[in-house]
Amino acid sequence: MFPKEERIWAWQKIPESSRIIFFASIIIIIFLTPNLAEGYESTWDEVNINSNNNYNAAVIDSNGDAWVFGDNGVIIHGEKLTNWSIVNSPTVEDILTADSNENLVVAAGKNGVVIYKEILSNEWINIDIDNQTRINSVSINNFDEIVIVTDLGGIQIYKDNEWLQINSLTSEKLFDITFENERGLISGSSGLILGSEDNGLTWEVRDTPEIVAESEIISIGYYKANRAYAITSEGNILKSTQESLTTTVGYSWTIKEIESENYSTSMNVNLTSLEILSTTKILLTGEEGFVALSKDGGNIVTPQLLPDGNTYLKINDMAMENAFRGIIVGDNGKIFYTENGGEDNPVGFEIIDLSNFNEFVDFTKDNLWEGLKATVKIVIFGILLGFFLGIMLAMCKTAPTTLKQMIESDLEKTLILFWIGIPISIFSTRENGIGLGIFTFLSIISISILLDQYINKKNTESDGFLGILIPEQHRNKVIKILGLSLLIGVPISGGMNINGGVELIYSALVDFHDFQLGSDTPKLSAQLAYIFAPIGNPSAFFALIIGIGLTYLGILFILTNGTFTKKTIYAGKLILLVILWTVILTELFVGFNLDKFDLNVSNLMKFGLLLGIGFFLTRRIIPKLSRKEIKINDFSISIDPWSLRPLNSIATLYTDFFRNTPLLVQFMFIHFGMQLGKHIQNIGVDFTGDLAIISSYLGPLDNLISPLIEYVNESLFGPGKRSYLSAIFALGLNSAAYQCETIRGAIAAIPSGQMEAGRSIGLTYMGTMRLIILPQAIRICIPPLGNEMVNLVLNSSLASVIAYTELTRQGKLVVAITFQIFWTWGMVMIAYFVVTWTLAILLRRLEEKTRIPGLGISGGN
Amino acid sequence: MDDDVLIVEDLEKIYSGGVHAVRGVSFKVKKGESVAIIGSSGSGKSTVLRCINRLIEPTNGIIKLNGEIINNPLADVNEIRSKIGMVFQSFELFSHLKVLENITLGLKHVRGMNKEESEKIALEVLDRVDMLDRIDAYPGNLSGGQKQRVAIARSLAMHPEVILFDEPTSALDPELIGSVLQTIRGLADEGMTMVIVTHEINFAKDVADRIIYMDKGLIEEEGPSDIIEKPKTDRLKEFLSAMDEE
Ligand SMILES: Nc1ncnc2c1ncn2[C@@H]1O[C@H](COP(=O)(O)OP(=O)(O)OP(=O)(O)O)[C@@H](O)[C@H]1O
Ligand SMILES: [Mg+2]
Repeated sequence: MFPKEERIWAWQKIPESSRIIFFASIIIIIFLTPNLAEGYESTWDEVNINSNNNYNAAVIDSNGDAWVFGDNGVIIHGEKLTNWSIVNSPTVEDILTADSNENLVVAAGKNGVVIYKEILSNEWINIDIDNQTRINSVSINNFDEIVIVTDLGGIQIYKDNEWLQINSLTSEKLFDITFENERGLISGSSGLILGSEDNGLTWEVRDTPEIVAESEIISIGYYKANRAYAITSEGNILKSTQESLTTTVGYSWTIKEIESENYSTSMNVNLTSLEILSTTKILLTGEEGFVALSKDGGNIVTPQLLPDGNTYLKINDMAMENAFRGIIVGDNGKIFYTENGGEDNPVGFEIIDLSNFNEFVDFTKDNLWEGLKATVKIVIFGILLGFFLGIMLAMCKTAPTTLKQMIESDLEKTLILFWIGIPISIFSTRENGIGLGIFTFLSIISISILLDQYINKKNTESDGFLGILIPEQHRNKVIKILGLSLLIGVPISGGMNINGGVELIYSALVDFHDFQLGSDTPKLSAQLAYIFAPIGNPSAFFALIIGIGLTYLGILFILTNGTFTKKTIYAGKLILLVILWTVILTELFVGFNLDKFDLNVSNLMKFGLLLGIGFFLTRRIIPKLSRKEIKINDFSISIDPWSLRPLNSIATLYTDFFRNTPLLVQFMFIHFGMQLGKHIQNIGVDFTGDLAIISSYLGPLDNLISPLIEYVNESLFGPGKRSYLSAIFALGLNSAAYQCETIRGAIAAIPSGQMEAGRSIGLTYMGTMRLIILPQAIRICIPPLGNEMVNLVLNSSLASVIAYTELTRQGKLVVAITFQIFWTWGMVMIAYFVVTWTLAILLRRLEEKTRIPGLGISGGN
Repeated sequence: MDDDVLIVEDLEKIYSGGVHAVRGVSFKVKKGESVAIIGSSGSGKSTVLRCINRLIEPTNGIIKLNGEIINNPLADVNEIRSKIGMVFQSFELFSHLKVLENITLGLKHVRGMNKEESEKIALEVLDRVDMLDRIDAYPGNLSGGQKQRVAIARSLAMHPEVILFDEPTSALDPELIGSVLQTIRGLADEGMTMVIVTHEINFAKDVADRIIYMDKGLIEEEGPSDIIEKPKTDRLKEFLSAMDEE
C-alpha cells in the first residue's frame, strides 16, 4: 500500500471554535479599532508673570521682543517671546495702545500719556500730551513720527519734538490708527474711516457701507499694501482691496457676509482687536474670551479655543510676529502665546503626516473601504448576472431545436407570439415606455403558459398550445401568412404600424442615402460603405440587419411547402444568387462606366476579381449543379436554412460579440453609448412607482410593502446609481459570454446517454437539462468558472472609466490627495487580492461540498 | 389483435450522412410477451429500439403503442416516453443522485408524485431488483451489475407498458451478467412486456417468447425461441456459428 497522503495544511483541520475566533478578531480589528479622539485643543499657552493688571496693548518689535502694556503704566518685556519680565515704567497712567516699527516702540494711554523707546536703548522716554485726553491709538508713520488719535476726535503728530494738531474734520471718537508706509487709516465711531496719503498730515473721509453708519469701527489694519480690514465693536468685518491701478487700498470698503447661522453680517461679539496675518487670514479678539480665525478674508470665522478657565476673559489686544508666532493680552494679567497662528489643533490627526503609514491609513481608510464595498457590490451582482445569463446562453447554444422544429411543431405558440405577444408589447412600449413594454411582454408569456397548463390539464386530449390546434391541411397556409407578415409588418394607421423586414431595409437604406456622404451613385457597395457613417445613429445599422433577417425568414416561410423540402432550399439559394449577381453587375456596369472603358491592367484586374468572386460564390452555393443530378442523399449543401438553430445562432452572436470586443470599450459603449444605466434607472423608477401605486390599494399590507419598494428604489435606482447599474451590466454581460463557453464545454463533457436516459423516463428537454445535465455540468466547471469570476473581479477595475467610484478609482483619488503612490496602490492591490482570494476559497469549499463520490478524478478520497 | 401493445410497420431510418440503418422492419409485440432481437453488429437493432422510444425520428414507417400512432409530430413525446422504459448498455444512471433519488426523480417530476408516494414505489422496485441495501449509495460506488439493476428499477418505477433493453449485459463482466439476467428473467415471469436486444443467445432462447434476427437493417428470420436450434436461413446459421466460436 502507498502511504496515505496527508495534506499539510487544511482550513478544515482548524477546530471550528478557532475559526470563529479568527473571523471574530478580524471583524473586531476592522470595525472596532478606536478612532483616535477627534477633539480640538487650544494652541494658546498661558505666560505666567506675577501681575494682576489689565493688559491693554501689545506689540512685537523688530527684534522679535514682545512689549505688553497695561493699567497703571505696567510694561512687560517678553524677550524673544520667551523670557518674560516686568520692566520699570516712566508712568503710572493706564496705557491703552502701542505700536512699533524698525526703530521705535511707542505706547500711549489715558491722560495724554505717550512713551517711546528706541529699539537699541533700554530707556523709556515720556512725551506726554498736555491736554489730558484719552489717547485711543498710536502709530508710527514712514518718517518715524508718532501719530495719535484721541477719544475726542483729535489727531496729533509728534514732529520735531513737538505735538502738532492735525485737522481731523470730525469730532467723532477715533479708535484706531495705522500706517503702511506713507498711507494711513483711522477708524472711528459712526462708521468713520479716514485716510491719508501723506504720512498723516492731511486726512479725508472714506466711504463705508451704510450698514455700519452707526457702528464703532474699533480696529483697522493693513496687510502689506494690497489689503485692509476693519472691525466694528458689534462684530462686523469690513474689507478693502485695491480696486484699480489709480486708487490705493482703503478707499472703498465692503462688508463681509459672515457665514453664521442666520447669515447676518455680524458675529454678535464685542470685538476688541484685529490682526491681519495674510491677505485672507485674519485673527480677531473680543470680550468673553473670544479669539477667532478666518482663513478666507472673513467669510468663515471660526472661534478658537483658549486654555480652560478663560471663558469670560476680556481680551484687549494681540500682536503677531508673523503668521504663526504671537501673543494676545487681556484683563487680569493674562498673556497667551501661540506658535500655530492661534488655530486649534485637531487632536488625534493633527497635521496629518502622510509619510507616516499610520496616519496615511487613518486618512485614507474610509476612501479605500468605500471603494472596496463598491467593488464587492458590482462584483456580486455581476457574478450573479453573468452566471445566470451564462447558463441560459449555454443552454441556448446546446439546444437542438431547429428553425424547422420551432415553426412546424410549435406553430400555435409561434402564432400567438407573433400576432399577439409581440404587437401588444410594441404598442405598450410606444404608449408607456420600454419598462411597461417589457413587463407586458413577460406577463403575456407567463399568462399564456399558465393558461396552457390549465387548459391542457382539463383536456385529456391535450392538443396544441392553449387548446388551439391548426388542422393539418391549413398549417402551410398559416406559415405562409406568417412569412408575409414578417415581410410587410402589421400596417395600422395612426403611426402605430409595425414595420416588416422590407420596410426596415428600405428606411435604413433611405437613411443612409439621405446623408449623401460623398456618394450619389446607385452603386450598392458605395452606399453600403457608408453604413458606419451615420454617427450617433447606429440604430439605422441595426434596423438594416434586423430587416435583412426578417426578410430572409419571411421569404423562407412564404416559399415553404409544408414539408420543408429541398425545393425551399433551392429557392433560397436562387434568391441569394440573384442578390449576389445584382450587386456584382451594378458594381461592374455603374462602377466602370463602360462607355469610356479603359482596358488598363488595374481595371481588368478589378473586373476579373469581381467576376471571380461571383463565380466562386455561385459554385459554393450550388456545388453539384454541374453534375446534372441531385441525389436524395445530397447533404453537401452549405446553407440549409431549416437546420438553422435560432437559439444557438442568437447565443453565438452574443458570445462572439462580447468576446471579440475590448471590455473597456464595452464599458464605455454600455454606459455612455447605450446609456443602459440611465434606461434601467428610468424603467426601475417607473416600475417601482407602479408597484407603489398597486401596493397602496393593499390597505394594511401597504405599510409593510411600501418601505421595501422605497428601499429597492433608493438602493438600485436612486440618484447617482447610473454608473453603478451600467457597471453591473457591463461586467455581467461580458462575463456571461465567457461563462457561457465554460458551461457549454462542461455540458458537452456530459455523456449524451445522460440526456437520452433523462428523456427516456419522460422528462422534457428542459427538465433533463435542469435536473440531470446542469447539476453535473456545473460541478465539472466550478474550477474554470472560478477563474472566470476572479477575472470578473479584476476586470471590475475598469468600471472606474465610467466614473463608478470603486476601488481603483478611489485609489486614484487617494493618490491625487496624498501622493503616496506606493502605499495606495499596494493597499488597493491587497484589497483586490483579499476579494479574489476569498472568492477562490469559497469556490474551493463549494467544490469540495458538492463533490460526488466516484465521479471524476479529484485527488481526494 | 387487441393485445398487441407495440406495433412497428415498415420502419425505415436513414441517418443524416446517408447510412441506411433500417430498411423496412415490421413486427408486433403482444402484451406480456418478451421479444429478443439478435443480429450482428451494425445490423440496426439499436436504431429500431431508439425509433420506438423516439430518441431518434424514423424516416418512414408507423409505430403504434396501444393502437395509437406515436411517431406523429404532434404526439406528446414525453408522455409516450414515460410509458416506454429503456435500459441502456452503459446504464446511464444519474451520477449526481443517490440510488433512491435516481428512481424517484421521474416519479416526482414526470408523474407529479410527492416524496412519500415516490419513495414507496422506489423501495418496491428496488426490492424487485434486489438492491434495497444500497439505496443511499452514489452510482459511482456501485458495481456494473448493481448499476444495471438500478437502471432496470428506474424503468420499472414508471410502470411502463413496455421496456426496451439495449444490450443490458454487454458492458458487464461475465460474473456480473448473471444477476442482471436473473432480474430480467424475473420480470418476464411476472408478465412484463419487453423488447430485448442482446448478444446472449442462450439467454434469448431461455427468456424470449419470440426471437427476431436482424441483418443489414432487415428482419431475416423471426419465430419462437426454437429457431435458435433450427435456423431456417443461412445468415442466421452463420451468425449462430460465429457466436458459438466466441
Ligand atoms: N447517429 C448515427 N449517425 C449515423 N449513423 C449511425 C448513427 N448511429 C448508428 N449509425 C449507423 O447505423 C447502423 C446501425 O447502427 P445500430 O447502432 O442500430 O447497430 P446495432 O445493431 O445496434 O449494432 P451493435 O450490435 O454493435 O450495437 C450502423 O452502421 C451505424 O454505423
Ligand atoms: Mg447497438
